[in-house]
Amino acid sequence: MRPALLRQGLLITTRKASVPKPSILRACPPAAIQPITSIVRQTPRVATFHTTSRRAILPAGPQVLEGTANDPAPVPKPSPTHGSYHWTFERALSLGLVPLTIAPFAYGSLNPVMDSVLVAALLLHSHVGFTSIIIDYIPNRNHPRARKLFEWLLRLGTLVVGIGFYEFETNDVGLTQGVKRIWKAGSTDKVIGSA
Amino acid sequence: MLRQRAVQQSIRRLAAANLSTFNKTTSLAQLAPPVAIATGRHTQIRQAATQPTSPSDAYSILASQRLHRPVSPHLKIYRPQITWLLSGLNRITGSILSGGFYIFGAAYLVSPLFGWHLDTATLAAGFASWPLAAQLAAKMAVAFPFTFHGWNGIRHLIWDVGAALNNQQVIRTGWVVVGLTVVSSLALALL
Ligand code: HEM
Repeated sequence: MRPALLRQGLLITTRKASVPKPSILRACPPAAIQPITSIVRQTPRVATFHTTSRRAILPAGPQVLEGTANDPAPVPKPSPTHGSYHWTFERALSLGLVPLTIAPFAYGSLNPVMDSVLVAALLLHSHVGFTSIIIDYIPNRNHPRARKLFEWLLRLGTLVVGIGFYEFETNDVGLTQGVKRIWKAGSTDKVIGSA
Repeated sequence: MLRQRAVQQSIRRLAAANLSTFNKTTSLAQLAPPVAIATGRHTQIRQAATQPTSPSDAYSILASQRLHRPVSPHLKIYRPQITWLLSGLNRITGSILSGGFYIFGAAYLVSPLFGWHLDTATLAAGFASWPLAAQLAAKMAVAFPFTFHGWNGIRHLIWDVGAALNNQQVIRTGWVVVGLTVVSSLALALL
């Protein structure tokens, strides 16, 4: 991209607020009698690159470009621990959730050991899921510090929730049994206290 | 907005291509833009001059231009399709489930500090006192994300082994998930 073109695009987009209502007639007479340079100046400023309105959900973060405008995006160093092994581990975890979530429906609930396995799997699966969400919405390129902050908040959260569920699993009836009791509480009061 | 710009741009092109067009045939100016383009001498002239720019200027120009990029995808004009709607819903339902899971786990840990009663016996007794409609609504609010995310998670795992990846298959499995979700979440809520 030629820098001058870029500059022109910039100039034009920043003045977008002053684009007047389109009127074929208004634009025509000066265009017809004036030299081209003043046509360019007088016709309403229009974004040359993006013909779609912006509709920003949030303000764009600070833009940090590595290298020049013409350099390709950097490719991270390949590492199976952060790549394929990690991916396979996440899928194995999700796959494990399938029988673990179906079993309580088949058997009524899970025994304490399997219930804890389910809770641990849910915790890890949630941690992995929240991690992808953070990676997607807080790009390291624009917000390296916010990214770190949220990653640490998530680790802290997962730790706290893990301890919380350890307490719950050891002191209470367990996740599947607990959900079942609350679920059935409305329809049949006699379920409470039994089982 | 798009249409307005199309009009403006075609006028600019017309005027640039033939300065006297508007004088000779004023009525042409009132025609719809496609007609105006078709009847005018349709030569594109781009008003771009080049000038030397220092690397640091180029950097800041590009950086500030990026701040003006439109949001992609443009959710309001992008055609709603089962493919991307369910994809987004998978994330939303997963977040709802995990959010609830995290909130409960953390609240249970700190409950003694605040004197909250989050043991299942208390929760079940409290839930039993709700009106039936509220119970059903609450059960749907849990059962829907759970069943959808579970079924769609299996769909994800099928894709992960490289199967059912063409567009028709993605659409069809999407509707299968919707059907399974409706049936199983209703069944769970009525349990
Ligand atoms: C049968 C049970 C389940 C299966 C098979 C399953 C499967 C999956 C899969 C494959 C993904 C990755 C999606 C992707 O690649 O974009 C995912 C994401 C996720 N799951 Fe599950 N899941 C299940 C249950 C749950 C439950 C019960 C929770 C919450 C407690 C949960 C929370 C999440 C979250 C937060 C994400 C991240 C969302 C995202 O990245 O878009 N999942 N799940």
